[in-house]
Amino acid sequence: MTALVRELRFALSERAVQLIVLIAFAASTAAVIAGIEAVNDQQALIDRLVLATDEERAVAVESASDPGDMAYYAFHLTFAPPSALAFSALGTRDTLPWKHRLRMLALEGQLYESDVGNPELSLSGRLDFAFVVAVLLPLLLIFLLHDGEAGERRAARHDLLRVTATEGRNLFTVRAIARSLLLLAAILIPFLVGAVIQGVGLPGIGVVLGAAALSLVFWLAVCLLTVRRVDAGPTCAISLLGIWLVLAVLLPAGGKLAARNVVEVPQGGELLLTQREAVNDAWDLPKPATMDPFIERHPRWAPYSTVSRPFEWKWYFAFQQVGDQAVEKISTELREGIKQRDRLMGMLSFLSPPLLTERLMTGAAQTDVAAFQRYEDCVRAFHGGLRSYYYPLLFEERPFDDSAKRELPKFSPCAQDSGR
Amino acid sequence: MSQQQVLEAQSLTVQRGGRPVLHDVSFAVGEGEVFALLGGNGAGKSTTLLTFLGLIEPHQGRAMAFGQDVQGNEDAIRRKAAYLPETASLYAHLNAWENVSYFLELARSPRPRDELSQAFDEVGLPADARDRRLESYSKGMRQKVAIALALLRSVPLLLLDEPTSGLDPVAIDEFNALITALAERGSTVMMVTHDVYGACQVARRVGLLRRGELVGTFEAPPEGMIDADELHRAFARSHAS
Amino acid sequence: MNPVIRVAAEEWRYWRRSRLGLAASLVIVSVLLASALATWRQVAIERNQRAELQTTAENIFYDQPARHPHRMVHYGHYVFRTPPPLALIDPGVDEYTGAAVFLEGHRQNSATFSPAYSGPHGGSFVSLSPATVYQVLVPLMLIALGFSALARERERGSDLLLLAAPMSARGLWLGKTLALAAAAALVLLPLLAAVLSATGFALDGIALVLGYGLYLLGWVCLTTSVSARSRSSSNALAVLLSVWLAVCVVLPRIAASGAEVLLPVPSKIEADLAVAKAMRELGDGHNAADPAFEQLRANLLVQHGVDRVEDLPVNIRGVVAEAAEAEQKQVMDGFSEAYAQQEQAQAEAVRWSSFLSPLLAIRGFSTSLAGTDLAHRHRFLVEAEQARYQFVQDLNRIHASDLTYTDDIRRSSDAGAEQRTRVSPDNWRSLAKFRLTPDSLADRLSRGMPFFLLLAVFLALATGLGITARPAGVR
Repeated sequence: MTALVRELRFALSERAVQLIVLIAFAASTAAVIAGIEAVNDQQALIDRLVLATDEERAVAVESASDPGDMAYYAFHLTFAPPSALAFSALGTRDTLPWKHRLRMLALEGQLYESDVGNPELSLSGRLDFAFVVAVLLPLLLIFLLHDGEAGERRAARHDLLRVTATEGRNLFTVRAIARSLLLLAAILIPFLVGAVIQGVGLPGIGVVLGAAALSLVFWLAVCLLTVRRVDAGPTCAISLLGIWLVLAVLLPAGGKLAARNVVEVPQGGELLLTQREAVNDAWDLPKPATMDPFIERHPRWAPYSTVSRPFEWKWYFAFQQVGDQAVEKISTELREGIKQRDRLMGMLSFLSPPLLTERLMTGAAQTDVAAFQRYEDCVRAFHGGLRSYYYPLLFEERPFDDSAKRELPKFSPCAQDSGR
Repeated sequence: MSQQQVLEAQSLTVQRGGRPVLHDVSFAVGEGEVFALLGGNGAGKSTTLLTFLGLIEPHQGRAMAFGQDVQGNEDAIRRKAAYLPETASLYAHLNAWENVSYFLELARSPRPRDELSQAFDEVGLPADARDRRLESYSKGMRQKVAIALALLRSVPLLLLDEPTSGLDPVAIDEFNALITALAERGSTVMMVTHDVYGACQVARRVGLLRRGELVGTFEAPPEGMIDADELHRAFARSHAS
Repeated sequence: MNPVIRVAAEEWRYWRRSRLGLAASLVIVSVLLASALATWRQVAIERNQRAELQTTAENIFYDQPARHPHRMVHYGHYVFRTPPPLALIDPGVDEYTGAAVFLEGHRQNSATFSPAYSGPHGGSFVSLSPATVYQVLVPLMLIALGFSALARERERGSDLLLLAAPMSARGLWLGKTLALAAAAALVLLPLLAAVLSATGFALDGIALVLGYGLYLLGWVCLTTSVSARSRSSSNALAVLLSVWLAVCVVLPRIAASGAEVLLPVPSKIEADLAVAKAMRELGDGHNAADPAFEQLRANLLVQHGVDRVEDLPVNIRGVVAEAAEAEQKQVMDGFSEAYAQQEQAQAEAVRWSSFLSPLLAIRGFSTSLAGTDLAHRHRFLVEAEQARYQFVQDLNRIHASDLTYTDDIRRSSDAGAEQRTRVSPDNWRSLAKFRLTPDSLADRLSRGMPFFLLLAVFLALATGLGITARPAGVR
């Protein structure tokens, strides 16, 4: 312990260490600030959209004379609010949708509308805390540690240190640990401040600290093993950088390519075309062609399924539903394919600690693919709720008065473990 | 010999990269003795020192210190020995106080500041230099800090590699006086050097090393010093052949 | 032999004898080839699939039976974004840009199904496209190969021997730079081959390779210059790796995050809400009796000298639908143009950072020339909108001219009238085939030019750093 304290003080006296620790602190601070800004922007946007959609829907509900009108004109906002930890790992929230403006029409046509970020920005990626921990931390650690022994050897101090220090050659391990701890502190302090500001609960903080510690311990071990084996500083740096390149860049990128090839998913365009055919053909088909498959799925409305006029709302919404049913298979395959690809990446992450760190952090922050799929499920559930609300009004022709209008479901985000 | 042997080389043979660096070298250094190992470039002087510190493993023979084999007892021996490397490069970004304190902490034998100050006085490090970083020091001044460090370790054995290189003549005299005083207080000193006259100034016994072999030993008469000219001739002869 | 070439040849020999640099280069080159092939295949598949879907969508539209024209307005049509040929080299924003747009009356839909929607996520780079490899990894290889070129000589003191040869410090630097530049040129060959097979011998492809050449030459000079100015190889390496880390890994993200925070773009849903609100005020184009179209109706009656809409030679419903669509388009265009401008402003902000990061400069140049930058996405949306407006208004005009008002209003109750309001499927043929062509060469070149100049500045600075270095032997 005294050795560690001594080496901490010593490390702080070295200019190179000071510089790298300062860079780490600056990068982490910038990442935390940028993350909080981004999350606050998302929350503010949700607040604005909820307000505007509520206002718009109030007009539609107010003026609706029958349930079909209301179902057609009343839009709802569905969304997944950023979790408390979202600031630390922005994840897929700039590339996968987390908000929709929906109505009672066929869901499949609406679900894939994606209101996402600027693709040119997505190309660069964002500066967030997860990036600092998963990518920057190992690089900075390599900078700090690659020359630990070789530098002392060049300065002809190696032998003197070894024979003077009571811990002998372990001195260099203690030194490496001391430097790593300084780096970790520099990276974590801004995060902890951010976590307190965002009101993250202890379990959430624990996961992030764990992920950061895991990343640090892994790279510390890699550095120590390499430094022991390689005598020259530059050779050591290049070897370590090569390891970083393979683990942090090649494996994830190669894995993505492989996952795409191993797991085929249906073309989105194919889904869209099929669904449109199913919905639009209904106009020209005899009514039973729509109502039969509908009743098959919803036998409850069988007694009310006769359509006598050329246009009736219940028939209109029935063919919207049948349109969804027509692409159920493709849609399930797509969802399963996405899940499967993500699972492959999850398996791969056990080979690539940077990827594992990133996945742990986006998982905790609920900004990963799984969270996106949970949001889609949430939207489906809400849309199902809309149907359960409207169908009795449309089919049984229950009285449509103000009290019935007040029963209109209102979207609230699905309870996720908020990490608070 | 009546004295207890502090260092003893028993038929030391060391190879590096398949090439013999030391071959069947034997000698002993008693307690309180100042022993110098003299030799030219590549004679194996530093290797001998490093073997006694357990940094190099002998292929044959043994290096003994304090009656123990160095192999397997490195830690115990290093605790009782101070080492002054050939180019004493302490940390350039620390001042004299910080350097010495740090290394003493490494050895887990911290010393109060007045003892540090006293050691700096003994080696003749100017008081105004002590607060400056070593990057502004001359080679001789750095050497003085390193010698002060070796003194402050207050260990019974000093292993010195070219201790006077970089020192001016006055400082060399001071250094020699210091070593003699230490030996009188009971410290054992082994130094390696290529400086014939320097060795004679301070050592009671000089071993002549040539291409890894000990080719002769010279001992000072009871009340005098080793004859430098004789030693010089022997040195030249050994290198001529 | 020319002494400069002699120095270069000596450096090559050194590489052959040191395993490290050679191993690093081999690894990077093989990764480069593998990734290039894999990405090439991926993008080629995407291009084919989208082209096929486009044809399918068109055939489905043409094959629709006789119908009321407004039904076809709502039936709608799909257009697909086909990446330009050079996307095989640099897919640019393709990954994050929706590939399909549904065209229908009264709405501008967003592009859905970007490759990222169903793609796996994770890792610090989008993909290892040939572009990414040349932009990020090859500079690293050049650093690994060249960091010690001059610093090594200085450490060993062998530079003094060279300078005594006699060899000027500048000549020494030039020789080492030449050696490294030859390695860069060698690595550039696969890119040249890829470009040639993607576009044939065309100006854009050649310009693309030139841009990458300039960029890599910049890194070559930077590497040897830093090596010439460093006290030791390990110092040179530390400086070069720091620069690489800042330029290739950190700065692009800082730029993107900064642009997002400083120049927020509103959400598409916000625009949709605003459009819906504006449209409510414009009036419902389905309802010819909507008071919003009173003026239009009155004018029409006067123009044809009749008193009742039934007596008009045109179907008022079609006329109103056309007029309403035109007004709606103006509102919607206002929003979509503003949206595109704001997105563009963010992209510009990132591009300004090219002054600090040559990586952003080459990326800007590469995506501009390949036609896979943000402008590609915007042009797709604009052309999709043109296609939408054209087919919707064509159908509205048929609605106005080919149908009688009397039939049109009675079609829900009168089967005969309903039959008469169906028009022949021949009319569906008027839908134009949608093929997103690459931006014109002139456009792409002019978009890429500023980046090319920035790359030239980078090269000039790096060279300046080298030729002004103190003679290596003077300590």
